[in-house]
Amino acid sequence: MAVEFSTLLKPTSRARRLKSDFVVVLAVAATLIAVIPLAAVSLYVISSGAGVVSLDFFTQDPPGDLSAAGGGIRNAIAGTLEMTALATAFAAPTGILIAIFDTEVGGRVATGTRLFIDVMAALPSIVVGIFVYSLVVVTQGHFSGFAGSVALAAIMLPVIVISTEEMLRLIPRPISEGARALGLRRWRTYLSVYIPTAMSGIFTGLLLAVSRAIGETAPLLFTSLGNNFFTTDINEPMQGMPLLIYRNALNSAFPAARDRAMGAALTLVVMVLAFNLLGRWLVARRRPGRNPGR
Amino acid sequence: MTARVESPSADSPLGPNDLRRRRFADGDLVFRVMGAVVTGLVLLLIGLMVAQSFQTALPVFDRFGVLGFITGQRWSPTFTVYGAWPFIFGTVLTSLIALVIAVPIAILVALLVTEFLPTRIGQPVAIVVDLLAAVPSVVWGLWGLLVLVPFLRPIERSIAAGPGKVVPFLGPPTPGPSYFVAGLIVALMIIPIVAAVTREVFATTPRLQREAVLALGGTRWDVIRRVVLPLGRTGLVAAVLLGLGRAIGETIAVTMVIGNAPRVGSSVFSPGFTLASVIANEFNEATEELHPEALIALGVVLLAVAVAVNGAGLMVRRHFERSAGRGR
Repeated sequence: MAVEFSTLLKPTSRARRLKSDFVVVLAVAATLIAVIPLAAVSLYVISSGAGVVSLDFFTQDPPGDLSAAGGGIRNAIAGTLEMTALATAFAAPTGILIAIFDTEVGGRVATGTRLFIDVMAALPSIVVGIFVYSLVVVTQGHFSGFAGSVALAAIMLPVIVISTEEMLRLIPRPISEGARALGLRRWRTYLSVYIPTAMSGIFTGLLLAVSRAIGETAPLLFTSLGNNFFTTDINEPMQGMPLLIYRNALNSAFPAARDRAMGAALTLVVMVLAFNLLGRWLVARRRPGRNPGR
Repeated sequence: MTARVESPSADSPLGPNDLRRRRFADGDLVFRVMGAVVTGLVLLLIGLMVAQSFQTALPVFDRFGVLGFITGQRWSPTFTVYGAWPFIFGTVLTSLIALVIAVPIAILVALLVTEFLPTRIGQPVAIVVDLLAAVPSVVWGLWGLLVLVPFLRPIERSIAAGPGKVVPFLGPPTPGPSYFVAGLIVALMIIPIVAAVTREVFATTPRLQREAVLALGGTRWDVIRRVVLPLGRTGLVAAVLLGLGRAIGETIAVTMVIGNAPRVGSSVFSPGFTLASVIANEFNEATEELHPEALIALGVVLLAVAVAVNGAGLMVRRHFERSAGRGR
């Protein structure tokens, strides 16, 4: 890379130092501009949601009519937890296996699979919803919590594969050499050495995937559809928190719907942040100083 | 020669080959086959979903032609006329607005974190910016609908009444929900992605080159302008493409603030629709002839665009990483 030295040989002048400082000011300003909306959203959700949230809000179901006051979001909390749990049960073992397969076979097959997973990670979530609708909902003939779980699993899978692969790649050489020197079979190496070593990293990826899935609305719209009533039956349409927020927000002309949306939004944000920050904290503990400083 | 030398050992250059042959024995074969089967099944399942969606959309492409569908100006389920242009227009416009706002901010954030702040402070700043991505889309939409739209409405009005009279595309109507608000919300949502990729790009700048500029009496800005930005050019392109890919697919937040009008708007302040938001908004109520099929066809168009943009972004990033890995 050619650096034009002639321009740099001038002694650092006041003007150039000022220019540099100006860029610092610009960068600080830009960061503030990026962070202010985050603060604004958080404050708004907390201030308008805190008054709504109570024990009843978590333990009661909403009234059949959106515009009616009272009730809670029990059905949505239960639906979100159930669908996310099932999605995790689908995506976690599959994702970890795919990551191991990729790391293990290497070569063109792995590159191909990896490309596919990367593309999957980039799919718009609404497109995932359409895919699952065409395959699961159309085949089953009805909307269901199961279809919602499949859609969420499709969102989670690439996140899990990518983070697991990264963790497997970070396994220190001496450890893999040690396993090899002991004459361990490959499956044994993964089961007893690699996976335990990478466990906290893999778990982190899982938490981040869950925190992403919990907040997704678009993939649920035409899969789990939503349900005004409480259900744990995975074959019935099921309510999710994002769906409840979406539908109530669109009717926010009614104070009751607006309050319900705000209370649910506060609950959802707290859930998402809990998973997200827990995951990040584990990452920070596992890989101190790995993130690029300079 | 003793027998010891002939047996496979880790020291022997022949070792790995022998080990590989043995790897197919017993447990390892099962292990590999299981991995292959699961991977294959997932690929197959996704492939099946794509094929199903294409097949469902086929009648629409048959009736209007692929080009006719894409360039069709009119979207009117009651008359069974389906043209995708108003939505493609909306997606392109909101994504462009989002990029114009998000890219400079994200680059400056990345510069602040990697170039100006010590790691100890930079890291928390990076995490806070990352948290923008953790806020669920529906919550951004809720805030956009209830706070941002009312807040921006008078500003949009005064712009439309002032400069909007002269500058095309800034005029009325200004009902509140608009391409502009949608673009702004999407900008907030893609800042963390663009900033994260950019940060990685900047962090790969070789230390020696930075120090060379500093040693010559250059300022921090000189380092950025002469070394960090030129060396990171390819990586920046990747960051922008990946941000664009995300912007194109953003659904719920956009649906809540774009005003949902199936027309090509005459101004950035007009209400409109994007590909993703029209699907989200109309699919559950689609009962007219070919209406669901047409919406799935929009999904196919969206899929094609998103895969193309993201694929390009991933390829450019891989290219950048490889060249950065070689030390350039």
